[in-house]
Amino acid sequence: MQTELVDAERVFLFDRMIQMGQTEEDKLLNEVTGKSYEFGFTTDIESDTIAPGLNEDVIREISAKKNEPEWMLEWRLQAFKVWSKMAEPKWAHLQYPKPDLQAISYYSAPKKKKELKSLDEVDPELRKTMEKLGISLEEQKRLSGVAVDFVMDSVSVATSFKEKLGDLGVIFCSLSEAVQEHPELVKKYIGTVVPQKDNYYAALNSAVFTDGSFCYIPKGVRCPMELSTYFRINEAGTGQFERTLLIADEGSYVSYLEGCTAPQRDENQLHAAVVEIVSLDDAEVKYSTVQNWYPGDENGMGGVYNFVTKRGICHHRSKISWTQVETGSAVTWKYPSCILKGDDSIGEFFSVAVTNNMQQADTGTKMIHLGKRSRSTIISKGISAGNSQNSYRGLVKIHPGATNARNFSVCDSLLMSSNCGAHTFPYIEASNPTAKIEHEATTSKIGEDQIFYCQQRGIDEEEAIGLIVKGYAKEVLNKLPMEFAVEAQKLLTISLEGSVG
Amino acid sequence: MTGSKESFISNFQAPSNSHELRSQGHQYMADLPVPTRKSERWKYSPISKLVNSSLMTCSGEGVVWPEEILPNPIPFLDSYRIVFRNGSYVASLSDLPIDDDVVCAPLGDVEARFENEYHKSEWIGAINASYHQNGLFLKVGKNKALDRPIVVHHLTDGENIASFPRHFIKLEEGAKAEVVVWSSATDKSSGMCNGILEAHIAPNAYLVIDKVCNEGGEIFKFSYEHICQERDSKMKINTFTVKGHWVRNELEIVAQGPGTDSVFNGTYMPSGKEHVDNHTTMDHAYPNGTSSELYRGIMYDNSTGVFNGKVFVRKDSQQTNAFQQNSNIVASKGATINAKPELEIYADDVKCSHGCTVGQFDTEALFYLKSRGIGIDEAKALLVQAYVGDVIAAVDREEVKNEVMRLYSERHRWA
Repeated sequence: MQTELVDAERVFLFDRMIQMGQTEEDKLLNEVTGKSYEFGFTTDIESDTIAPGLNEDVIREISAKKNEPEWMLEWRLQAFKVWSKMAEPKWAHLQYPKPDLQAISYYSAPKKKKELKSLDEVDPELRKTMEKLGISLEEQKRLSGVAVDFVMDSVSVATSFKEKLGDLGVIFCSLSEAVQEHPELVKKYIGTVVPQKDNYYAALNSAVFTDGSFCYIPKGVRCPMELSTYFRINEAGTGQFERTLLIADEGSYVSYLEGCTAPQRDENQLHAAVVEIVSLDDAEVKYSTVQNWYPGDENGMGGVYNFVTKRGICHHRSKISWTQVETGSAVTWKYPSCILKGDDSIGEFFSVAVTNNMQQADTGTKMIHLGKRSRSTIISKGISAGNSQNSYRGLVKIHPGATNARNFSVCDSLLMSSNCGAHTFPYIEASNPTAKIEHEATTSKIGEDQIFYCQQRGIDEEEAIGLIVKGYAKEVLNKLPMEFAVEAQKLLTISLEGSVG
Repeated sequence: MTGSKESFISNFQAPSNSHELRSQGHQYMADLPVPTRKSERWKYSPISKLVNSSLMTCSGEGVVWPEEILPNPIPFLDSYRIVFRNGSYVASLSDLPIDDDVVCAPLGDVEARFENEYHKSEWIGAINASYHQNGLFLKVGKNKALDRPIVVHHLTDGENIASFPRHFIKLEEGAKAEVVVWSSATDKSSGMCNGILEAHIAPNAYLVIDKVCNEGGEIFKFSYEHICQERDSKMKINTFTVKGHWVRNELEIVAQGPGTDSVFNGTYMPSGKEHVDNHTTMDHAYPNGTSSELYRGIMYDNSTGVFNGKVFVRKDSQQTNAFQQNSNIVASKGATINAKPELEIYADDVKCSHGCTVGQFDTEALFYLKSRGIGIDEAKALLVQAYVGDVIAAVDREEVKNEVMRLYSERHRWA
């Protein structure tokens, strides 16, 4: 009897080991043991860089280099004027040395500027970088059917699937291209969701943005593939000022993916992006982000400052859904928001934010309810490890006219060490008697009994933690498109590397 | 701009005691800015209207106590009493405990050693430090339990009055005391009442405070309580805002030793154009502490409510168990609630949660009652009673409980 039991156990364990051996994550865990930042490499490509500093002339120079029309330059200068009168915000629960904005070069583009029609024309050095990142364009093109607008530093160098999208009338190109070719659309929508004077970094971005993506989905079109962009900071001392403008016309649908990795650097790099989404009547936009900028080393040296303004506006019966997995950056300051202007509009926010070592994150969302029966859902999962600080900051505002508005928020925090911090700062402002708002937050330690349970079954502590964390974040990870879900899980595991205890 | 910082305080006069605190107060008053909407802590409670007015402090001379207000506000409660009018002590209406282990006197008669530093961070606190008048001084000796509760009654009576009560409570090891802090005002009153209460609870001691604001007139009321809890001490504070034109209750509890237990609850039901702000801070600086917080409010008419609850769990404050719940009902078009429940946690082996809701009366419950022949107003009144009743039930003394219930029901015309 006893031997039978032991055999059964052995078979069970054996099966279990095979299963484990097969999962991607576990293989990965073994691979990355002891590894520091995996994507920490730089590419040597000659760059066309403006001397550091910020003034009106620099803005004129950027605009001239990009061959922009007069109105665009005027708009930039207007933003610069507004920005010069603003002070850097201090309210976030973050501590970092103020970046020296005069020491940054505001324009850096790979020198090769001629138009590219096929991928073969891309600089071989650049191709290598892409391959190292695991996003070889051909592969992507063939296997996943994703159109990739690859951004190296600040200028787009390759865009695929353009023709296929073109047949449907979908415009997916770099913003500078859109300024040239679709000025009426850019002029109509730029700055309508995130105005120049919105905040310090949005104003800065409006003045100096170099490039970004532009996307327009025409009326009634369901975009057949996920649109995706890879951002990558490459040039030392170059702040990236991306600007994305996404317009979903009436009744259309689009799923947009954004992900990023950055090479290892010792000095802080500033990333102040702006994302604007306009979701017109009955449209639906799904915006997913995996953010993995360089977080700095264990002692907090280096790492990217990520100060991003992301906002969408929902018209009648439309929907915007933000999903984000935040694992990188030394300092994150990011609140993807929805202005629910139209009646029956829907806003969603799903977030997993992981901080380890000396990372600091202050992230969350704003749901501004203006339309009748507008609804919003917020699910935020924070994981803090090492000496990091992880904050959720959110606003739910119900205006007097937003009859029968509904909000549901959950923000949970998981603490992995005794030196880290997890904080919650939700703002709830309701001015309508029919509003229903629910907010709940919990903070707890990773369950010792759960770890023990796994260990008993032959899963070591680190793996057990990986499993538990993945389970904890599942609600959000499930919202990601397939391609991203895999990458996100890898990132979670890598980010929490060595944080046991 | 008529009212500057300087002109606002120009008519204030201070008694001559506690020089050190006053001189500090003057210094910080000059240095600290007047809070505006831009300062995070005052975002939803602007005071520019107050600063633009011209107020005056009152000396205690020639006191006539108004008939409509009873010196003992809680009927049938067998208690001690210390009474103040416009910041000054009214000896004839007071009844203080006499006991070898208890020192209970007007603050002006004793030299209290203040430890609180609110005046160093807030302009409002600095004015109190500079001009504080009188208040309760209570010291309960080791293992002594005060036999009756003490009612601290402050009355504001008159127009454009500025009053600055300041109370000091110290419980020694194992002591126990109950204090009811009651404030009232006549209907024609206006001005500001800016009060501070500082309490120190030694190991194993237990302090209970019931705080009731039932003020007529148009008074800007600031009341700040700072409570320090040492090892294994307990405290419970209930804050009821029954009536008040503009009320800000600020409560700060600091655990200064392990194993403390803090319970703090409150209700607010502003109507008309009233404004009620409840700011609470619970600072768990040592391990094994527990705290539980429950605030419930209903905003009627064009009133505004503010709730800001903050829970800190400092590094190494392991095994902390903190709970916070805030529920709100916006009952009318025009009413607003601004809620901000915050958690700041720096230790990992803790259990902390908070919940915050904004909603309406349960339509199903209303339907149930209506279908049994109960009118809509009466049905709502029943629901309200149950809603705030949960909080009021936490009061230990029946007499206080009944009086608070009675005042609410009278005010909101329950059956």
